[in-house]
This record gives sequence, C-alpha cells and structure tokens, in this order.
Amino acid sequence: MAHSTSLASMPPASADLSTTWAFLEEGVDHIMTRLKDGVSYQKYMALYTVAYNYCTSSRMHGSLDHSMLGGRTGANLMGSDLYNHLIRYFNSHLVVLRDTSEPLADEPLLRYYAGEWDRYTTGANYVNRLFTYLNRHWVKREKDEGRKGVYNVYTLSLVQWKSYLFEPVQSKNKKLANAVLRLIESQRNGQTIDSGLVKKVIDSFVSLGLDEADTNKANFDVYKAHFEIPFIEATSEHYAIESKTFLAENSVSAYMKKAEDRLREEEDRVERYLSTTTRKTLLSKCEERLIADHKDILIADFQNLLDYDKDEDLQRMYSLLSRIQDGLEPLRSKFEEHVKASGLNAVSKVIPEGGIDGLEPKTYVDALLEVHKKNADTVNRSFRGEAGFVASLDRACKDFVNKNGATGTSTTKSPELLAKHADALLRKNNKLSEEGDLEDALNQVMILFKYIEDKDVFQTFYSTKLSKRLIHGVSASEESEASMISKLKEACGFEYTNKLQRMFTDMSLSKDLTQQFKEKQESLPDPEDISFSVMVLGTNFWPLAPPTHSFNIPEDLSKTYERFQRYYQQKHSGRKLTWLWNYSKNELRTNYLNQKYILMTSTYQTAVLVQYNDNDTLSLDELIAATNLPKDTMLQILSVLVKAKILINEEQDQYDLNPNFKSKKIRVNLNQPIKAEVKAEASEVLKSVDEDRKYVIQATIVRIMKARKTMKNQPLIAEVTVQLSQRFTPKIPDIKKAIETLLEKEYIERAEEKDTFNYVA
Amino acid sequence: MVTLTTSDNESFVVDKDVAERSVLIKNMLEDVGENDHPIPLPNVSASVLKKVLEYCEHHRGEPIPTADADSSDDTRKRTTDIGEWDQRFISVDQEMLFEIILAANYLDIKSLLDVGCKTVANMIKGKTPEEIRKLFNIVNDFTPEEEAQIKKENEWAEG
Repeated sequence: MAHSTSLASMPPASADLSTTWAFLEEGVDHIMTRLKDGVSYQKYMALYTVAYNYCTSSRMHGSLDHSMLGGRTGANLMGSDLYNHLIRYFNSHLVVLRDTSEPLADEPLLRYYAGEWDRYTTGANYVNRLFTYLNRHWVKREKDEGRKGVYNVYTLSLVQWKSYLFEPVQSKNKKLANAVLRLIESQRNGQTIDSGLVKKVIDSFVSLGLDEADTNKANFDVYKAHFEIPFIEATSEHYAIESKTFLAENSVSAYMKKAEDRLREEEDRVERYLSTTTRKTLLSKCEERLIADHKDILIADFQNLLDYDKDEDLQRMYSLLSRIQDGLEPLRSKFEEHVKASGLNAVSKVIPEGGIDGLEPKTYVDALLEVHKKNADTVNRSFRGEAGFVASLDRACKDFVNKNGATGTSTTKSPELLAKHADALLRKNNKLSEEGDLEDALNQVMILFKYIEDKDVFQTFYSTKLSKRLIHGVSASEESEASMISKLKEACGFEYTNKLQRMFTDMSLSKDLTQQFKEKQESLPDPEDISFSVMVLGTNFWPLAPPTHSFNIPEDLSKTYERFQRYYQQKHSGRKLTWLWNYSKNELRTNYLNQKYILMTSTYQTAVLVQYNDNDTLSLDELIAATNLPKDTMLQILSVLVKAKILINEEQDQYDLNPNFKSKKIRVNLNQPIKAEVKAEASEVLKSVDEDRKYVIQATIVRIMKARKTMKNQPLIAEVTVQLSQRFTPKIPDIKKAIETLLEKEYIERAEEKDTFNYVA
Repeated sequence: MVTLTTSDNESFVVDKDVAERSVLIKNMLEDVGENDHPIPLPNVSASVLKKVLEYCEHHRGEPIPTADADSSDDTRKRTTDIGEWDQRFISVDQEMLFEIILAANYLDIKSLLDVGCKTVANMIKGKTPEEIRKLFNIVNDFTPEEEAQIKKENEWAEG
C-alpha cells in the first residue's frame, strides 16, 4: 500500500535538508495538485512529523536530550530553510498556472482563475496545518522580532498568489477586473450570467488584501484598487447614459419604476457577489445618477401626480427623493401649496350664490374635512406619514381652515360654523343613525378644531349652543355631550371646559330642585293646577342674558312664581334669582274650540294669549298695557301668532281670537325663535368674545409681569402672544391697548429705561 | 472512538474528544476526515502516550486555548501555579517529565506543555548555576573569564 510506505520511508529526524525537503515536497505537491485523491492518516502524520522533527532537531547542539533548553538558534535556521523551500515551491507552482492562463480571456479566464483559486486555497489550508510547528515557533518568533515579510504558511501562499499570478495577469490591461466588469455590464443589459463565478473571483480579491500588522484583519486595498474603483466608475457611466435615454423616450412615471427596479437590482448585486463594504458607495453613486441628476424633472411632475391622485407614483417619487440630500423639501412645500389651494377651492365651491349667510355649517365643515382627509390619506399612504409632510399638511390646513372664501378676513367665522355644526350633531334630531356615527362625527369636528386659531370663539359659540340644548332639552345624549367635552378638555385643558362642565352640574341640581319643590307643593293644602319645572343656572357659567325690558307676569303664573321664589329663598337665603322670561316656555290647553289643542308657547306668547281668556278682541295698546312688553317685541310676538292663525289681524292694530283655528297636529308649536334674535345672537357672541379677550389679555400681562417684575415692550408682547396662542391669536394693537389700561389702573408702571415696564405689587 | 498507534507499535483506543485535546489530531481529523484507520504517532512511545492520555482524559471537555492566546494571556506566562491534580500527575522522574514535555509539544497540547514547563521552572527557581548543572546533568563549558563576565552582566537579577 502506497500510504503505509510513506510512514516507512519517512526520513529520520537527523536527515539533512535535501532529504527532508524531497520527502516534504512530494507531499505538499500531492496536496496542492491532487488533493482529490485523498490523504491517509499515515501520510498526514508522516509529513507533520518530518516537518516537526526537522524544526526541533538541533544538529548544532548534539544530542536530542538537551535540545529542550539549548536549541533556539538551531530552530531558527531550520525553520527558515523550510520556509524558503515553501516559497520556492509556491512560486514554481504559480508560474505554471500563470502560463496556462496566458491565452485565456473573459469568461474562460475567470473560470480557470476561480477553479485554480479554489484548489490552491484548499491545498494551502492543508499545508498550513501540516506546518503548524513552523508557524507556531519559527514564524511567530520572526514576527515577534519585527521582521517584515514573514507570514504564516497560509498567508504566505496568498502573498505568493498575489505576486506571481494575480498581479501579472492584472497587469495585462486589467484582464481579470475587466472580465468581471464586462460580465456585470451584460447582466445589467439583461443577460443571465454565472453570479457564483463572479462572486468567487471577487472574493479572491478581498482575500488578497493583507494587513501586514494583523493578518486576521480584513483589508480591502486590493479589492478597492482592482475592482471597486473601476466598478463604481463603470456603474456611473452606465446609468448616466441609461437614465438620460430612458427619460427621453418615456414618462416620468415609467422612469421612476425603472429607477426603483435598478436600485433594487444593484442592492441585490451587493448581496449576491460584492463585498458589503461597497454597498454605500455603489448605492449613493446610483442615486446620484438615477435620482439627483434628474431631480428637477421628477419634482416638476409632482403636481400632476397630486392632481390625478396617482398614489403609487407619489409613493415612488417620495421614496426615490427621500434617498438624496434635500430631495423632499421641494415636495413638502409644493404639497403644502397644493393642500391649501384644494382647501380654498373646496370652500369656494360650497358657498351658495346668495352669499355665505346661506351656507350650512355641515356643508362647510364637510368640505374642509374632505380636503383634510384626502390629503392626510396621501401623507400616510404615499409619504409614509413622514413628519415633514405631516407638518406641511398641518400648516396648509391651519391656513385654509381659518381663512378662506367663506370667512373673508374674519378669523371668527370658522369657529362659529364649526361650533354650529357640533351643535347640529349633538341635537336630538341629528340625522345620524348610530351612536358610533355620532362619536365619529365628533372626532371629525376635533380634527378641524385642532386647526382653529380662535379657540375662544369656538368656546363661546359652543357654550351658547350647549346652553340652548340643555334649556330646551334637545341634547341627543348625555354620553355624547360628555364625550365631546372630554375631547375639548384633552385638547385645551381643564380651564377651557370648566364652564361647560358646570352647566351640566346645574342641570342635574335643577332636576332635583324641581322634584323637591313639586313634593313640597303636593304636601300643601291648596296645590296649584300647574305643572312647573325650573332650572336654576349660575350666572357666571351660562351665557344667558336676562330680558332688558319690563314684563307683567300673567296672573295665572304669578302664584307659582311667588311660591317658588319663597321656597328658594328659604333654601338658599341671600341668593338672587333673576327670571329669564325670554327663555321660559309654557304649554296651554285650548277650551274655546271644538278640538282641544295644546299650544306650546313662549312665556311672552302666553302673556298675550291669556288676555283672550276674557276678551275676543284686543287692540295693540291694550295688549301692551296688559303685558308691559315694549312695542316692537309685542309686534314680533303678534306677527308669529297671526301667522299661525291663532289671532286674526284684519284691522290696523286690532287683534281678534280666531274662533275657527284648525291644525292637523294636536300639539301646536308656536315657540319659534324670532329671526332678528338669531342674527343678534351671533353678534352678541362675538361681542362677548371681544370683551373676554380684553380681560384675558390683561390677566395674562399681569401674570407675566408678576413673575418677571420688569420687562421690555417687545418681549412682553411676544410672551403674551405665545401664552395665548392656545386660545386665540391676539392682535398686537389689542395687547398695546391692554398695556395702556394696566398702566392707567397702575398694575404696571413705566420704568426709567425706554420701552420697559415694572410690575407694581 | 479513534485508535492511536505509538512508535513502539502499541495501540490505544480512546474517545474522540479525548484524542482531540491534541490540536494536531483535531486538525488532522478535520482535514482528512474520519475513517477506521489507526492514527500513527511516530514520535510518541506507549509509556508516554499512556501518561498523556491520562491527562487528556482528566481534562476532557475543558476549553482548548486558541493558537494566539499565549501572547495576550500574561497570567498564564507569569504564574508558576499548578493545579493540585496536575501537580500530582506531573510528579514523575526527570526523564519522564522531559518526555511528556516533548510529547505535548509534538501533539500540540498547550495546557500540558505549560504544566511541564512550569514544573521545570519551579525546579530551577532559587538554585545556583552549579546546583542547576548538577540537577540536569549539564557540563560547565564556560571558561572562568566567561563566567565572571556573565555574572557581572546578570548582577541586576541577583538577590
């Protein structure tokens, strides 16, 4: 058996170099060229042992017994003998490979190179281990002593490969790298190539980078110089031409698809056969050629994509431009302009021909919401909810929500309409079928609320509307009211909703009070034949004004009025009750007709109608005298009653009871708000907002000055503006006016320094 | 299981993980692949291998230090401490001690090589050159002049 002979033919430890190397060289050559034939344990051990023995033998110092302590110098020389022989072996081996590669080019060259590389490195790994002892002692000591150019056996094999095969082949017109680049180019042009082959060759470039100081450290010098740099150059050239040609013949949308595909392909390429260190350089070069170079063309198409809702293309444009420096900024500002224009356009479409007075709050709010929703969807879907686009959307919405065709220059119109819309939603007869729908609709209100600048205007309108809902008992559900208030509280804090919450407290207290009063009445000897309910509402929390004119309480009501007055004074002595006749209502039963009707009336209407219990005909003056109501109010009341055909007005200033009154319904509602009152209400609200603001501004200034003691004019105004921005945007003249007022009231004084104020404690 | 054959043709059958305490054997099994053939160890005699295997058996399962651990691991170099079991194990005659050291070097068993070398170091510690020559049976081949020179050069290390 050939294998067992190798052990037997092993030269003795004392054999000389030429005998020893002859034995080793046969084994090394076997491993380097015929490893596939296999190696036996015997052969392996024989080679290892011979190399070991040669290194440890110390011919210079005589017997083996003492070599442990004295053989250093000998081991040195022995090691270098073997090392030099290995160098010579690798060299001659590689020269043969190089000569064979000479006539080859392109793919055949790469195949040959990769095949030999595989065989060579596998063999060299073996040889490296057979010469472990050489590595461990001689090589290590040489390196420790600082000698350059000595490597462990495996590294040595790579160094030799680099100088005797790789560099000579590359020196011929970069034969290897160019062959690889041509393969990649043809793959970019759609042909299938052997990626595994490319990977092998490129990996060898990486392996050939050797760090002199630390061979374990990866060094990409060879890879970079021989491959990466020319590769990046070729890539840049390829895509410069391709992108230009493609854009000339195709749409932007098609181009973006192509660019995206290309970027993905290049990323795959890194995965498949390049060093990951190339990823960044490669992709940023591709982004430069494919995106940055054509940035302006892409951006120019953005509006077009928005106009036609091309979601997919928008998304693509976003993700492409997000890859380059400052790519998104132009999109963000264009998007902001677009949203703003859409909002203004949507509003101008819903303004009725007759002017904004006829504009339904719901129509208005829906128009705003639709624009917001559509563009918020675009942000989320196409721009991945990126913060910059969210900010653009918010800025644009804030803009068109507060100022548009319907509002003109007034910043109070939007909060007014929004509050009115919320009121419509929270009323009993809203057209929403389910509780959940209402909750949704309220959340939508909050979306716009967020953008409202004059939140105090909304607050005032909202509380006015809420008070009406509560007084008239037309709120859709207590739960929804509470939900809305907690939303507002979440958005603006406790103070903002404090009054609103107090209104609910008053309502429930009033309910109890009515019940208690009723029980008390029933226990009296002569109970009234009137069912009576009362709401006692705190003056500070309710935006309700008492009547400004005189009024005679009708006889039929006065008894109950007095009894309650007494009852309440007993319960809470010292509290003053102001009767809001203008908000009171009654139900009257008719006895003068065949059919009995129930007339639902305001107390003023009641006061008029009860006069007809004793008369059929009354003049205007008589009615005024009886009720003590002012003439213009009286005329308005009468006109409603006449219109409802309860009264007949055939002669000037004379009103007769209609004996033939007929109605399809048993319950006849006469209690409709008078037109003039509705209009007055809005201006009333705004007046109270203005009044409130004055105080709020003053209070804010005082609070700031109390904390800072001394402040200059400009910073003070700025600080006030910041602190109030949650509620409304104060006008600078208003702030200046408030400062003047506070100077007069001596809350603050002018300091000696110009434009400076001091706090006066 | 692997079979190890010694220079004097005796065979030892041991568990693979015991045999692989030797980096040489470990590398070879990795490179050549496992088969039923015995592994010849032409540099180790049966009496020494028996001792070495006893050591390997005792330390099986412990981590094997990597090739370049010694340069960084200063404590390993400096300390002359030897574990209790190892101390008993290495209490052998001088000839066997050197044989074990040589075998550990050949088979590439770093920890055993350390135990051997530290034992020799402990034998030398605190002895005069003359005592050391006597201990290891070394003939003094310095001339008196040479000796005086060396003593002078090494004065700093005395005491």
